[in-house]
Amino acid sequence: MPAPDQQQRLAALRETIADIERKPALAEARVLAEQQDGAFPVLAGGMLQEMFTDERRNGGALLGFALAQAKGLLTSQRPAVIYLQLADEAQKLGMPYGPGLLSFGFDPDALVLVRAANMGDLLWAAEEAIACRAVAAVVADLGSHSKLLDFTASRRLSLRSAATGGSIFLLRYGQGRAASAAHLRWRLSPAQSTRRRHDAKAPGPLRWRAELEKGALIKNAIKNQTEFLLGWTENGFATFTAQRRHADRRIGSATLPRAVPAQLADGLPQTA
Amino acid sequence: MLFLPSWPTDYLKRHDGGLKGPLVLYEAIKGGLRLAAVDAEASRRGLSVGQNLADARAMVPELTVREMDRPQLEAAFADFADWHSNASPLVAAMSDVSTFGDLVLDITGVAHLFGGERPMLRLLLTRLRDLGYTVAGAIAPTIGAAWGVSHFARSQVVEAADLETVLDALPVHALRLEPAQIAGLSQMGLTTIGQLRPRERKPLQTRFGISLLQRLDQAYGHIEERMVPRLPLAERYAERRFADPIGLMDDVLMTCHDLAIQLGIRLEAEGQGGQAFHLFLYRVDHKVMALSVNSARLTRDPEHITKLFSNRSERLEGEYDAGFGIDMIRLAVSSVSELDAVQLGAFSHRGVAEDLDQLNDRMSSRLGTMAVLRTQLVASHIPEQAARLVPALVASNEDRAGWPTPLRPLRLLPMPERVAINAEVPEGLPASMIWRRDSYKIEKASGPERLGAEWWRSGQRLQLVVPETPKKGEAPPYIPNLPQFDPEAGTRDYYVVEDESGRRFWIFRQGFYTAENPPPWYLHGFFP
Repeated sequence: MPAPDQQQRLAALRETIADIERKPALAEARVLAEQQDGAFPVLAGGMLQEMFTDERRNGGALLGFALAQAKGLLTSQRPAVIYLQLADEAQKLGMPYGPGLLSFGFDPDALVLVRAANMGDLLWAAEEAIACRAVAAVVADLGSHSKLLDFTASRRLSLRSAATGGSIFLLRYGQGRAASAAHLRWRLSPAQSTRRRHDAKAPGPLRWRAELEKGALIKNAIKNQTEFLLGWTENGFATFTAQRRHADRRIGSATLPRAVPAQLADGLPQTA
Repeated sequence: MLFLPSWPTDYLKRHDGGLKGPLVLYEAIKGGLRLAAVDAEASRRGLSVGQNLADARAMVPELTVREMDRPQLEAAFADFADWHSNASPLVAAMSDVSTFGDLVLDITGVAHLFGGERPMLRLLLTRLRDLGYTVAGAIAPTIGAAWGVSHFARSQVVEAADLETVLDALPVHALRLEPAQIAGLSQMGLTTIGQLRPRERKPLQTRFGISLLQRLDQAYGHIEERMVPRLPLAERYAERRFADPIGLMDDVLMTCHDLAIQLGIRLEAEGQGGQAFHLFLYRVDHKVMALSVNSARLTRDPEHITKLFSNRSERLEGEYDAGFGIDMIRLAVSSVSELDAVQLGAFSHRGVAEDLDQLNDRMSSRLGTMAVLRTQLVASHIPEQAARLVPALVASNEDRAGWPTPLRPLRLLPMPERVAINAEVPEGLPASMIWRRDSYKIEKASGPERLGAEWWRSGQRLQLVVPETPKKGEAPPYIPNLPQFDPEAGTRDYYVVEDESGRRFWIFRQGFYTAENPPPWYLHGFFP
């Protein structure tokens, strides 16, 4: 058992190694955005983001969160978002619906839907689409787990997206987390909507609870905020002060606690 | 014109080496088994098409007999015809006299590639004879003349100047006439075309009909006869022949790239671009494989075309079978129209829309056209009809200014799913829901938004077939008693509901509450 100061030095060295091991693409992407105090940051493109939600029935909120971020990336030079889904999962998850996109504030003409027959084709299409300079974001809706999407595949996607500047959002369901090279990992759950004016019984403006499980939004991770209570308007996210959730909610869940990057400097810096 | 008198038997013999000796194919015609095809040896022994099978067996005891499988032979003959497009792009299988055996090739402007008409004919004939086919051929200025010469004279090239002398010497059978017409002509003592031609036309027409004169004029080239080519005509193509057949898909794609460059240079010189590209692979053993890809916008970019074909080839998997090898590859372009040259500036951005279209092309070429879609909004108040998914290659944006934008879910289920709903009072807001075996306590709800069914269809009955009008004294035909379209039953009341953890669903009740059974509820979509 080494002495405490040795442990500290060891930890410091591990951190240094972890920083070296991070490829430049990842390191660059870590400088993400300026964050005004407490507000949800405007995230730049060129990132692979995993977005988890516990159950498939939360799919509406999850797609909303991805499209809300994708909308911020649309420019006149990058006018398209590609949505990928396995053809046989359409009935399980539902398909993006044109008039619904309109009422969400997303232009349906900007969305191209790709219905792949199997996971291999879907990943091929994701890589092909992110390589195109006119694509702002790729949203891959993965209703089931596949062996094909392993660490290597996600590393490939993350390097591709860092190289071209478009973002990839992997929408995933369930509580299991496999190793991946995603820059950010979110856990999203819907929250009760607020009161609608003049009609207390009706659902009001939406609320999502987004929790950052992996990655850092700004470089010095000490001050980093990881939980957001979000609202959505056509012009962007609105952030509200989140009440901390009760500690006992954590006990039953199988999710990993949010990882501080420095603790992971043991040779596999990207697996959290 | 190529004439293969015993193609069906030759084809079977070539496919099945075990078939020996005089071979005939029979078919059940008018209740009797009759010969439908005989090979050269059998016809030498006195057998002919149309004979009774029992007679034939008695005449030639060692006869090999097979039943004729017409659909299979027709498909094989079509392949055989397509394969000949390596000699000329315009190939038709002529079937007005017999189903198999007559191939028409339009060799206008092609013969010089083979060193002239005579060497070309010799090449086509010897290559088929080497494969074991009995074949005769003729090159003539008209289709009718070529048919007559190939069937009733030795294989030769007929020059336009000699057309009349050659035709005059042929029997009247060479005009592709009906049996009754031939019988009538021989009754009149007219055996050769030369005797028939100077006769007065009016009496001939009254006796034999207009078709006789038509055939006569067609043979002499007084009126034009058209052929219908089997493969679509591509005016621009590039092709390459191989001394040794190739088999690997990678080699094919490399050749395709070379051909695309050639074709691209030619299209560029003409200021044209194409939208549909076809790759024909000619196998050594008379098969043609055709791959087609489409591009959303006009292009002549070799890299893009090759990329599309390589994506398309990945979708082939088991279908690709090079057999004994591929000895010619042709890349053709269709849907050609003007594409002006564009100056690429050093500082200008490449076209964004162009990039996107190319991406859609690439994805559709591998995943299929129906897998890459765009939403097209339709002016309909029925939710599932308000959005239509169309292939991204053909989608066009339209102006939607002034359309209402009601609150709609972000995800829609392709098929609404049944849910069980409890409401405190009928017609009241739902209080709880069971969907996919999970129960939800509904905290908030708003609605209903009533979407009526299409009242203009009211009272119509779904009819799949138009009933026939009854004849006199006949009972009217049976009309199945299908339910009439009832707009009340089709009316939906939509509710937005939210459960205790904030999930929001779009559910609807189909129809109204009645005394007997409660109306069904469905879940249709998810709000963010």
